[in-house]
Amino acid sequence: MSVLLRLDNVQRHFGGVHAVDGVSLEVEPGSIHGLIGPNGAGKTTLVNVITGYVPMQSGHAWLQSDELTGLPAHRIAALGISRTFQNIRLFKDLTALENVLVGMHTRRRDDTLAQLATLPMFRRGQRSLMDDARGLMETVGLAASDIAGRAAGTLPYGDQRRLEIARALALRPRLLILDEPAAGMNPSEKQGMRELIERLNQDGLTILLIDHDMRLVMGVCQRVAVLDFGRKIAEGTPAEVSTDAGVIKAYLGTGGEKVVTSAPGASAGDDTDSLIEQTTRARSRAEPDQAILEIEDLSVSYGAVNAVRGASLRVAAGEVVALIGANGAGKSTILNTLSGLIRPDSGSAVFDRLDLTRAKPSAIVHHGLVQVPEGREILARQTVLENLELATWGRRDGAAKRTQIEAVMKRFPILGERRALRAGTLSGGEQQMLAIARGLLARPRLLLLDEPSLGLAPQMVDEVFAAIAEIHREGTTILLVEQNALRALEIADRAYVLETGQIRLTGTGDDLLHNPAVRRAYLGG
Amino acid sequence: MDFFIQLFTDPVAFWNSHTLLIAQIGINSILASSMFVVLYSGQLSLAAPGFMAVGAYTSVLMDLYWHTPLAVNIAAGMLLAGALGVLVGLPVLRLRGVFLAIATIGFIEALRLGVILNLPITGEGLGLKNPNADPLGGIYTVLASLAVILFLVWRLTKGRLGAAWAAIRQDELAALSQGIHVARYKMIAFVLSAVLAGFAGGLEAHLNFFVDPGDQQYGVTRAVQILTFAVLGGSGHFMGPVVGALVVTSLPWVFQQAQAYINVVTGIFLIAVIVFRPQGIVGRGGLAIIRPAWWPRRNVRAPSPG
Repeated sequence: MSVLLRLDNVQRHFGGVHAVDGVSLEVEPGSIHGLIGPNGAGKTTLVNVITGYVPMQSGHAWLQSDELTGLPAHRIAALGISRTFQNIRLFKDLTALENVLVGMHTRRRDDTLAQLATLPMFRRGQRSLMDDARGLMETVGLAASDIAGRAAGTLPYGDQRRLEIARALALRPRLLILDEPAAGMNPSEKQGMRELIERLNQDGLTILLIDHDMRLVMGVCQRVAVLDFGRKIAEGTPAEVSTDAGVIKAYLGTGGEKVVTSAPGASAGDDTDSLIEQTTRARSRAEPDQAILEIEDLSVSYGAVNAVRGASLRVAAGEVVALIGANGAGKSTILNTLSGLIRPDSGSAVFDRLDLTRAKPSAIVHHGLVQVPEGREILARQTVLENLELATWGRRDGAAKRTQIEAVMKRFPILGERRALRAGTLSGGEQQMLAIARGLLARPRLLLLDEPSLGLAPQMVDEVFAAIAEIHREGTTILLVEQNALRALEIADRAYVLETGQIRLTGTGDDLLHNPAVRRAYLGG
Repeated sequence: MDFFIQLFTDPVAFWNSHTLLIAQIGINSILASSMFVVLYSGQLSLAAPGFMAVGAYTSVLMDLYWHTPLAVNIAAGMLLAGALGVLVGLPVLRLRGVFLAIATIGFIEALRLGVILNLPITGEGLGLKNPNADPLGGIYTVLASLAVILFLVWRLTKGRLGAAWAAIRQDELAALSQGIHVARYKMIAFVLSAVLAGFAGGLEAHLNFFVDPGDQQYGVTRAVQILTFAVLGGSGHFMGPVVGALVVTSLPWVFQQAQAYINVVTGIFLIAVIVFRPQGIVGRGGLAIIRPAWWPRRNVRAPSPG
């Protein structure tokens, strides 16, 4: 069996983080090979290693008989691996045509002398290159005559994605790596992208496809490899992979089977198990009539990308509501809209009579709606105490401030112990505690938590969730956004499942825990 | 005003009375082209005055000691500047943005303060007499070579080399992914820029009877002036820095009446251009004037929604 791309036990660490940990992979010529995995699984790092941006620390890679190990990125590109980028990296100020011409760099003779002499022979060469570039633009479905002369950065989003593929094709690659080509597209654009990928493959091109849209990946790929925490945890046909127990666990997370013995902040003898039970007992069944937060038909877009399309949800005082869904479903966008960081195109969002679509972000915080952002966003070079003090900056009640900081340090004893350490030296879970503590100092009535378990090891996830349950018990209403769906559903009274910007399902946490439709929202099928 | 009145009503008299100014504009335009080449490839290098000094001293010293012809002297200066460009470029071109700018300032100051002001042969800071200078006759050489240089730079930006430079300027990582040897193309631009600066230095020395090693000549002040050409004129088009050089060099003559306040007036003019025309005089958008975000808007009633 011939192999186009072969990786053998490739490793790449960043500090202590095993971004790619011993991955072996074989891509057959003429195939579409999928590469999937949850957020932070190491997919993009693996692509960066293959393409030579990030050197591998051990292992080997070959493209057919050419060894790639240790080659600089431009040599690997010249050998025939081209790629597109997750966050489009066109040459924005160059025209669409010039972008494709740059892609032809490696197969263009050096024309500097001909340029200086402006020879007619050169002009003929130039013209045939331009025709070539126009042809490539037509191949990916761009009307070359209309857009060839426009600056790439001014094109609509979908066209930019296509143009990036045209630029990658200009290299005449043996392997094309597409890094989330359908990210941020609406269903009909996605369908178009899928047709394009299939057409390119039928013309004989081998494609390595990374995407979070499982319908796309499962639909077009012959084989799919799954990464989690830098390791390849499964590989096979789409059908095999989507029913693999390990894959489902990686995507939906695990329930809290282990009982946490020492929840941070839980006073001695306070059993976490009973804690969760208490919250469970108080669960309301249906959508509440009296809501503290009401979102009605909310639509948000980034330029041409429709991130949220007509979402409606409500949260009543005292509830824990989870908003779950795969990467790119629009969860964080909703939270950022509620915090006033993004303005919606249409729809309403009202928190306790405050119109969130118009109020200033500072006024929203003042009103009691506080967000703990994704990725924590703590100040890594400041100490823990300084981070907490900054959260109360601007308040004038000096004494009350100090007692409140002392109180959160008692709630999260680990923060009290490490008050003098730089926040950047804390572990991921401790940083998350710090971010939540900082949110609490703003005295929220509604706390928005964005992916509190992101990138945490399982037992740290347990601790963070125990802390969330306790904050809720003390009377704070919580809107929780999570990829780790099973975990979030366990502590939530109610939950909404978001898929490509729309609410697909809603119900109580228990109902959704056992609903197979949740798995489909993540893994497609 | 007198400046423009004379320029339009009596160009011959203008030429005769402003020959030195025109020659200086020509020299500065060559320096602007040198700046353009590095900026076009995405490198904020301020090394040009250093390479100018190399070109100037090489050419004048060869004339003083060996009595070789001007063309040979200037060519030797360009060669030496280019060679030095390779040596300097190898370590500093790993740096980007403002760090590269600081490293190149380090280079020009080390060269000026460390070498030129210390060697007996360069006059140890007292300067160097250049008895064979030709302030008035040199102008034809300056203008002719400027025309050639502008043509060359223009053609270079049109081919494969120029495409690679533009790609690197826009996004280095994406350029790598297109198979462009980024380090090599940056080096080509840096050395070409050094050669052009060396040429300008040799030519400028030929216009003056005295080579002055001062800061405004080969130091940071000059580097900032050259950068101003590019910022003011716009660095996306090869004519941008040249127009910038034309404007900046002639401003003191245009605003002559301001006398003691000439620098204040010039400064305000520059700020105004940068505020209302951030892309430079020769930039995208034709002659459009950009209204800054803080500029008060006239009350335009927005169509009420729904």
